Amino acid sequence: MSFLEPLYLLLAGAAAVPLLLHLLRRRIGLRVEFPAARYIVRAERENSRKLKLRNLLLMFLRILAVLLVALAAARPVGRLIGAGHAPTAIAIVVDNSLSTSTIIDGAPLFRRLRAAALAAAREATASDRVWLVTADGRVVGGSSSAVADAIQRLEPLAGSGDLGAAVGRAVGLVRGAGLPARHVAIATDGQATSWRRALAVGDIGVSVYVPAGTPPANHAVVLAEARPTRWTPRGSVVARTLGADSATYRIAIGGQGNAARTLARGTAVADGEILVRAAPPERGWVAGSVELEPDELRGDDVRHFAAWIGAAPAVSIDPSLGPFVRTAVDALVQSDRLRLGSDAAVISADALTRLPALIVAPSDPVHVGAANRALERAGVPWRFGAARRETGTVREPAAVTPKLLDGATVSLRYPLTPAGDAVADTVARVGAEPWVVSGDRYVIVASPLDPSATDFPVRAGFLPWLAEAASQRLAGDAGVVLSAAPGARLRAPVGIQVLDDSAGQPVQIGDGEIVAPERSGVYFLRRGRARAGALVVNSEPDESALARLAPPLLRSRFDGRDVSVGGDPERWAREAYTGSARRPLATPLLVLALIVLVIEAIISRGAGARARAGATKAAA
Amino acid sequence: MDSPHAVRADLFDPASLASLGHVEIVARWVVDGFLTGLHRSPRKGFSVEFAEYRPYQPGDDLRYIDWKIAARANRWVVKQFEEETNLRATIILDVSRSMAWTGAETRLTKLAYAEQLVAALSLLLIRQRDAVGFIRYDDRLRTVIPPRARTAQWRRILHALDEEGAGLASIAPAALMQAARLIRRPGMVVLISDLLMEPDEVAEAIRLLRAVGHDVTVLHIMDPAERDLSLAGEAVFTDPESGLEVPATVADVRAAYRETVEEAIAEWRSTLGATGAGYEVFTTDVPFGVPLRRAFAARQHLP
Repeated sequence: MSFLEPLYLLLAGAAAVPLLLHLLRRRIGLRVEFPAARYIVRAERENSRKLKLRNLLLMFLRILAVLLVALAAARPVGRLIGAGHAPTAIAIVVDNSLSTSTIIDGAPLFRRLRAAALAAAREATASDRVWLVTADGRVVGGSSSAVADAIQRLEPLAGSGDLGAAVGRAVGLVRGAGLPARHVAIATDGQATSWRRALAVGDIGVSVYVPAGTPPANHAVVLAEARPTRWTPRGSVVARTLGADSATYRIAIGGQGNAARTLARGTAVADGEILVRAAPPERGWVAGSVELEPDELRGDDVRHFAAWIGAAPAVSIDPSLGPFVRTAVDALVQSDRLRLGSDAAVISADALTRLPALIVAPSDPVHVGAANRALERAGVPWRFGAARRETGTVREPAAVTPKLLDGATVSLRYPLTPAGDAVADTVARVGAEPWVVSGDRYVIVASPLDPSATDFPVRAGFLPWLAEAASQRLAGDAGVVLSAAPGARLRAPVGIQVLDDSAGQPVQIGDGEIVAPERSGVYFLRRGRARAGALVVNSEPDESALARLAPPLLRSRFDGRDVSVGGDPERWAREAYTGSARRPLATPLLVLALIVLVIEAIISRGAGARARAGATKAAA
Repeated sequence: MDSPHAVRADLFDPASLASLGHVEIVARWVVDGFLTGLHRSPRKGFSVEFAEYRPYQPGDDLRYIDWKIAARANRWVVKQFEEETNLRATIILDVSRSMAWTGAETRLTKLAYAEQLVAALSLLLIRQRDAVGFIRYDDRLRTVIPPRARTAQWRRILHALDEEGAGLASIAPAALMQAARLIRRPGMVVLISDLLMEPDEVAEAIRLLRAVGHDVTVLHIMDPAERDLSLAGEAVFTDPESGLEVPATVADVRAAYRETVEEAIAEWRSTLGATGAGYEVFTTDVPFGVPLRRAFAARQHLP
C-alpha cells in the first residue's frame, strides 16, 4: 500500500487524544461538588469490569476511527479491497510496424491491435495520465479522449519502427508521472524480429496483447539495388526475394506506379536472387522498383531502387602505359562501356597534364620526380615515394563489393603519401600503405599496370574495375543514393537543400538533416534545380519475416517483475489499470470509520437507553 | 395571585414561583391553588363547635358561609369551628449541606424546594386545625418545634426556616426519634430529605415510629442532575458532606449511574415499604402541588 498524500498521515497522531484522555482521566483538575457522588462510586464499583471493558472498547473504537480517517485523508492505494482503480500512469504502446498490416482472417491485424488499444484508453479516468506511444517513437499524451482520437487516426507504418525504443520511452513516461500505479500496455503482433533484445522495465507493470493466430506465408522483396548506381548506360538490377516458394516478379524503371516501364519479368525461386542487366534509354536519375504479386502483406511486395543513367565516358589512352591497359580500354570501347575521347585520360603520372585522369605510377623509377611534379601541377594531393620492390597483396576495405582488386599481387610500387590536405578514398592497400586512392576527378594506382609490377592487369577484375573507375570516379559527380527506412533520420549530403516529396514537389531540408518519408519510394535530392541523388525508402527486410515469438519467449524479452502476455484484448485492457490491483482505499476506509463510529455511538448510547428504560419501569 | 381565578400556583414551575415572593407568600399561593384543585372543602367533617370567622376563600364550602353577615355587611365570611380530635403532625426537614445544592442555576436548591414544601404543608395542616410540629436537623438537631394548631405556629415554623444548618452529616434517625418524643399519641410524621444516607438506620427509626402508631411519609427530594447525571465533561466529583472524591467522565458512567440511582430508589422504596411508611421521590423541577398532594393524601388516610 502506498499513499498519494502521505503528509496527512500525521493526522494519525490525533489518535493519541482518546488514548491520553483514557490514561489521564484520573488526573482531572476540574472539581465539581456533587452530593450524590456516592452513587458514582457505587456505579463504578458495581460495574467496574463492565465499565472498564466498555471504556477500553470505546477508546479502541475512537482511536480506530481517528486512524481510519487519517489513513483515508492520506489517499492510500493498495492491493486490498477498493473501488475503481488507483490513479494510474499508463502508456499504451501500439505496434504499428509494417508487419501489423498483414491481412489475417480477412482484415488487417492492425485493426485488432487498434481496437484493443482504444478499449484500454477508454478505461482511463480523469485521475489517470495516459499516453500513446507508437513504434515510430511518436508520443501523444493528454486526456483519455485525446489519446483515443489519436489511436483512431493511427495507421501502420511502411517500416518496422523501433519497438524497443518505444517501450523504453513509455517506461520513462510512466516512471516520471509521479503516480503510484504505473503501467505499460503493449499491443503487438509479437513479430520475432521486432523483439530481439531484452528490455529492462524494472518495477513497471507491463501487459502485452498478442492476437491469437498464425501469420501467413509471406513473399517479399528484401533487396533491390541498381549496380552500379551509375549506369553508362549499362547497368544491372540485383534483387532478392523471400518466400517459401517461387514468385512472379516485375522490374520497372522510369517512374513509380503506373508511370513505370517494365524492364523485366520473371519468376523468382524461393529465397532466390535476381540479376537483370539492362541499358535503358532513360537518362539522368531514374526510379525503379522490383515488384511481386500481392499477398497478405502488401507493404513488402514492392522494393524501390534508384540509378543514374548516362552515356559511357570518353577516355584517352597514354601509349606508354603498355599493352594491357590499351587492350582493356579497347575491349570496353567495343562493349559500349567506354568511348574514345577526351572527357578523361588514362595516363602515366609523369605525363599528367589535366584532370580527370586515371593516373598510373611510372614504369621507370627515374620518372618519379617528374611524376610528382606533374601531380603537383595538376593539384593532386598525393606523391609517389621511392620505388619499393617487395611482394605484397592488395586488400580492399571490407565494405566494398564486389571486390575487384582484392588478392592481386604487387612486386613493385611507389608508396603513396598525402601532400597537404588530401581528401580522398583509399580504394585498396598493400600492407598498411595506400595502393589505389581516389579523389576529386582522379584515381591513382601506385604501381605500373604491367605484369612486371603487379598481376592485377591479368586478373579477371581488371576490366570491370577499369570500367567502374572510368565511369564512376572520373565522369564527374552524378550524385549519391541514400537508403533509409521510413521515418529514419540521416545527414543530408553537402549542398543538398531540397527533397522532392511523394508528389514530386520540392520540400526544403532543415538543419542538414533528412527525415525519411513514411511511405516507401524514391525521393530525389536536389542541388539547386538539378537532381543530385536519390533517397530510396524501403522497409527493413526483417519486417518481412512474420514469424512470431511464442508467449513465454516474448515474456522473456522483458526484464521486469510484473509482466504478462496474453491474447484476450478485453482482459488486457482491464489489466492495464487493475493488473497491479492497486486501488484507492479512501472510500472503504471512510465507510469503515463510519461503521466504527456507529458502533461507538450504539455502545455509548445503548447503555443509556437501557438505563432510561429501567428508570421508566421503576417510575411506573 | 390576587384574583381567586388566577392560575393555580401549585402547578407553577417551582423556581419561577419562588422567585415571585417570600416563602410565606409563596406558601399561601401554593396552598390556595392546591385547595382550589381539590373541588371540595377539606374542612368537611371538622369540629362542630364554633370558634371564629374568617374571610371567604375560594374553595371554601359554601355551606359554612355566614349568609346573615353577608347580607348585613356585604362581605363573605365563613364560620370556623374548634377541632375536637385534631391530628398531630411533625414535619422533619433535612438541612444538611448536601441539601443546599442545585444542578442548575435556574432551579431551586433541594433545601429551598423543601422549605417551600414545608411552609405550604404546614399551612395546609394548620388551616385544617391540625397541630403541626417542625424539626430541622443536619449533623445535629437544629430546630425542634412541638406541634401546635395555632395560626402563630406557622409563623414560628417560617422563622425556623431561616435558622442555620448546612452541617456535614444527616442524623435522620435521631430526628425521627425526636419526633416520636414530640407526638405522644399516634400522628403523622413527614420526613423531607435527599436521603443521602444509609437506609437501614432510617428504616429502623421509622419502624419504631410505626410501632407506636405513627403514620410516616418520606418525601425524597432529588435534583434532576442527581437523578440522571445530566452533566457534561469529566471532573472530580466531590461529596460536600463526606469529602468523598471520585474522578469520572460523565459520558462513560452516566448509564451505570442511572442504573445505580434507580436501584437506590428501589431499595428505599422497598425498605420503607417494608416498614409501612409512604415513600415518594420528587425532583426539584416538579411543581409543589405534586409532593403536597402526596403528603396530603397521606393525611386523608388518617382519622
